[in-house]
Amino acid sequence: MQAFLAILRYDLGQLLRSWVTRIWVPMLAFPALFLVVVAANEGELASETVAAYINAVLMPLSALAVAVLTAGAIAGEAQIIADGILSRSVTRAEFVWAKIAARLGFALAVYLLIMLPFTYLIVRYASPDISYGGLAVGLFTGALLLTFLGALGLTLSTMMTNVLVSILALLLLVTVSGVVLQFLGLTWMSTTAVLRDMAPTIRGETPVWDTFRVVLVFAGLTLLAIFSTLTVFRARDL
Amino acid sequence: MHVVNTADLTKIYENRYIALNALNLRVEKGQVFGLVGPNGAGKSTTFRILLGLQKPTAGSIQVFGEPMGADRADLRRRIGYLPTNPTFPRHMTPIAFLQFVGSVLGMPRDRAKIQLSRLLQAVDLTSAASQPVRGFSTGMLTRLGIAAALMNDPELLILDEPTSGLDPAGRKQTIELIRELSGRDRTIIIATHILTDVERVCTDVGIISQGRLIYSGPMADMRRLARQGTIAVEIEGNTAAFEQEIHTLDEFGSLRYERLGSEFRITFLGTEALTEYLARVLQLIDRTGVELLHIDTGSDEIEEAFLRRLEDDRTRGFLRAAAWAAAQEVSGNGGNGANGSNGTKKVEGVDAGIPGHPSI
Repeated sequence: MQAFLAILRYDLGQLLRSWVTRIWVPMLAFPALFLVVVAANEGELASETVAAYINAVLMPLSALAVAVLTAGAIAGEAQIIADGILSRSVTRAEFVWAKIAARLGFALAVYLLIMLPFTYLIVRYASPDISYGGLAVGLFTGALLLTFLGALGLTLSTMMTNVLVSILALLLLVTVSGVVLQFLGLTWMSTTAVLRDMAPTIRGETPVWDTFRVVLVFAGLTLLAIFSTLTVFRARDL
Repeated sequence: MHVVNTADLTKIYENRYIALNALNLRVEKGQVFGLVGPNGAGKSTTFRILLGLQKPTAGSIQVFGEPMGADRADLRRRIGYLPTNPTFPRHMTPIAFLQFVGSVLGMPRDRAKIQLSRLLQAVDLTSAASQPVRGFSTGMLTRLGIAAALMNDPELLILDEPTSGLDPAGRKQTIELIRELSGRDRTIIIATHILTDVERVCTDVGIISQGRLIYSGPMADMRRLARQGTIAVEIEGNTAAFEQEIHTLDEFGSLRYERLGSEFRITFLGTEALTEYLARVLQLIDRTGVELLHIDTGSDEIEEAFLRRLEDDRTRGFLRAAAWAAAQEVSGNGGNGANGSNGTKKVEGVDAGIPGHPSI
């Protein structure tokens, strides 16, 4: 537990200092403020504004940032990890759990840091058409998508040694999976489809079963990715 | 008790490169063991397996009498490790890094602080303790690595090329530090290809070549072995006559010599005592009427012994390959049943090594 906490603290420190964070957070915050001002003045629908922000700003930028932060988590520091950390009294499981907690926790913290004030301001100043339950489900779904992407990034990070290849593989995998799922008639499982349905979800118009199966699938995939990360990293030569 | 004990330890990377080939390494408690070998011999791979960072392809490894593996954090707690060219998070200061190491090791904060300040002083980094490591020289990084390896006051200290990249002053300082660290029931394993370092600090030595341990024994034996067959003489006068007669020094002609101006380095490949060879050389000097200026039986001794071991190993490897080829040929020509149930014939004597140079 001591080692887990030490690595968690160290990794969070790294993330806070990272140039990705320095770019990512302002790039999410400024458009959010701009949209609040526009929505308040133009009387835009709250659900459409939140969904547009998630689809056009938050998800593309966050996907890129999360990909960089997670796909490079282990591949990018392989030597320091092996020589400086894992050669000491740390188990691989402690190390990976600390990395998962730090990277996914950090991504979710940034997401909430932006989304909670943003949705509050939109609900308050834009034309109210949302359902609170729908809004909670929408925010949860967005967080789940980012968590899934981060977990997949960590898995690839344990499998590959080159950071850039790892990031590109992650982005390619997410893009190609959408096409494949469409081909298989499982479009609802793709991230694009989930994001497209964000506005009705926030309004509370999406059937419960549809929401449930999306949550089930992405939560399952996230757990599978985390399990793969642990398994691959435990077996890997450093 | 063996602190480290490997049995036929083998590591093959991606079915292409054999890094370790049935390595049998034993290190006793309290030894300062020098693992010597050329680059790519398998020293670092041995260490990485020893720390559980890599898995062996075959064979077994025990540290402190227990099998080592990726999840043996309890065993690693008793080990300190300095990698070759250690790397650290660039923004961290030595104090911050050692504090991090202390917290990873589960040390109470106060104890970690006392230990890190003592270590920074010991490795002479007190004045740079609050500077980020990004500006550190190779020597400073190595010294910080040594401090980090010592944070838990380990029973086993593994140093991979501790003097690599250091200037002479840095090297001397590091060697002195290692000498100070030895004793107190601490076992130290040092991998290096700088033989003078080994000679200065090690009690025992192992020579690793192409993933195999080709020699292992006390440093004193290695020195004796080094002195065994080489005599250097510097002479004046009829050196041509001396050179012509050199081959008579050994009745089987099993010697080689090297001439550097008036100096002859004569290496005897036989197994007789050095005093016997020395007497013959002196007799030859007397017979040929040359004047003896200088005689030496020990310069560059360790390096000489090390190279001789490597050369012997290569020769033995060639003989093994030849024996294998011969066995294949016999097997192919003889057909089934001619030389045994599986159709192969054992070639006698080759595996035992070169006459006069028994297998280790």
